[in-house]
Amino acid sequence: MSVDKHIQSLTKVVVNNLENQHDWTQVQIHNQDNLPRPLLYGLPPKRLYVHPDEQIEIIKAEKELNERIPQEPELEWVLPLHLAEKWSIADFSAVFDAITAIPPGGESVNISEDAHWQLWRGPKRGKRILLATVQDDSTVTYYWMHNGLVKPRQN
Amino acid sequence: MASTEGDRKVRISKIAGRYLVFDIDDVAYIRREHGICAVFTGTMPQNPTQNVFLGLPLELYAEDAKMLLDRKVAYIADDPLEHLNKLKSMDDETRKSYLQSIKTQRRNAQLVFDEAKAQSQARHKDKRKPKQQLQVPVVVPTELPPASVNDDAATTTVEQKEEESLFGESSSKPAPAASQKPPVKEKLPAITPTTSNAMLSSDDGTSNPADVENHTALPLYSYLNESGYFITPGLRFGGDFSVYPGDPFRYHAHYMANSYGWDEKIPMLDLVTSGRLGTAVKKSFLMGGQKPATGDSEAGELRAFCIEWAGM
Repeated sequence: MSVDKHIQSLTKVVVNNLENQHDWTQVQIHNQDNLPRPLLYGLPPKRLYVHPDEQIEIIKAEKELNERIPQEPELEWVLPLHLAEKWSIADFSAVFDAITAIPPGGESVNISEDAHWQLWRGPKRGKRILLATVQDDSTVTYYWMHNGLVKPRQN
Repeated sequence: MASTEGDRKVRISKIAGRYLVFDIDDVAYIRREHGICAVFTGTMPQNPTQNVFLGLPLELYAEDAKMLLDRKVAYIADDPLEHLNKLKSMDDETRKSYLQSIKTQRRNAQLVFDEAKAQSQARHKDKRKPKQQLQVPVVVPTELPPASVNDDAATTTVEQKEEESLFGESSSKPAPAASQKPPVKEKLPAITPTTSNAMLSSDDGTSNPADVENHTALPLYSYLNESGYFITPGLRFGGDFSVYPGDPFRYHAHYMANSYGWDEKIPMLDLVTSGRLGTAVKKSFLMGGQKPATGDSEAGELRAFCIEWAGM
């Protein structure tokens, strides 16, 4: 079917862009019955998103430990889209309902309950998806979409 | 108009499809207790083109009005209709007490004027003293022209007559007019009443309650309001609403929000541009919509998503 083909090539464009322009690794295509289209997930070269509250806790912890805490990258979800598409709130809700907050294989093994900042990589992590919007000239723009009310980062 | 906060009913005047609040106590009440800021739209008669410092009336969104109505703390008065009805049906008692309230206001105004005059006189006295000691004949700085009081007296009587005529040529006119008219010697300043609240009785609004129309953004709006957010118009940031985590006097906005229908198709370009714009003004772009009610569930769930630039 032509729609499937369109989505396939769209996914391919995004995978290529992630791997070759943004140096992502372990990029996987994720198929699931209740998803309207395949999602991607992968590992960015550096950490892409830090919640503002998490940032505060990291700074507190760094002050206590008197050393910098290295921020390892996390696995992130990616939703390939074309600029000409139109999505509704219902469509986005369906995608968010179908996924877990952490992509498969991304669960951290050693989270200590004492270090509050680490919880943001585990139970406190909210659902978020990177919207990869492809234009006809193969430009890809990336925007975060968070589930629910998530306050903006201090940038 | 109610005496206690508990049974306060905010009077929302519906005029030309807009929802306005004219009572300053009501304005403070809905801001404090219900997190509604809305927009001041009134300007000064002396300088109607200035729009930096605006005052009463407060204009509410239809969503605000509907929310207050649903919480049973307000009623909508169809003002053009009710105003005329009130004036026509006003009995002697109410009329008298209204005229009396106007008079009280004017007395208060006179007190304020007197105080200001005394203050300025005292100030000028201090200035004059050192000069008098130098024995230099000086022109005494002219104070506020005292003529204004006389002018006021003149306008007062004119205004009195206008006020009287406001209530129509009722049969009872001559008698109270004679008793109400203050002696010209009282010289009260003329005032322009900004509201006619004194004409309202406390049982007002129960007779013909009007409803609110066009509140499409209500689900998202009340969801944000109930979560403790304050909402103001968002045009200056490029959205429908700007959403503050507390009173806008204290906080910067966190989100610029747009409300959509559940199945309303949103072009990706809108999301990209809004997300970019939101990030540029250090905000997150919030989009929300409510699932329409189905057979098994009454009120559909509300979903909200936040978009910001990923930085890559």
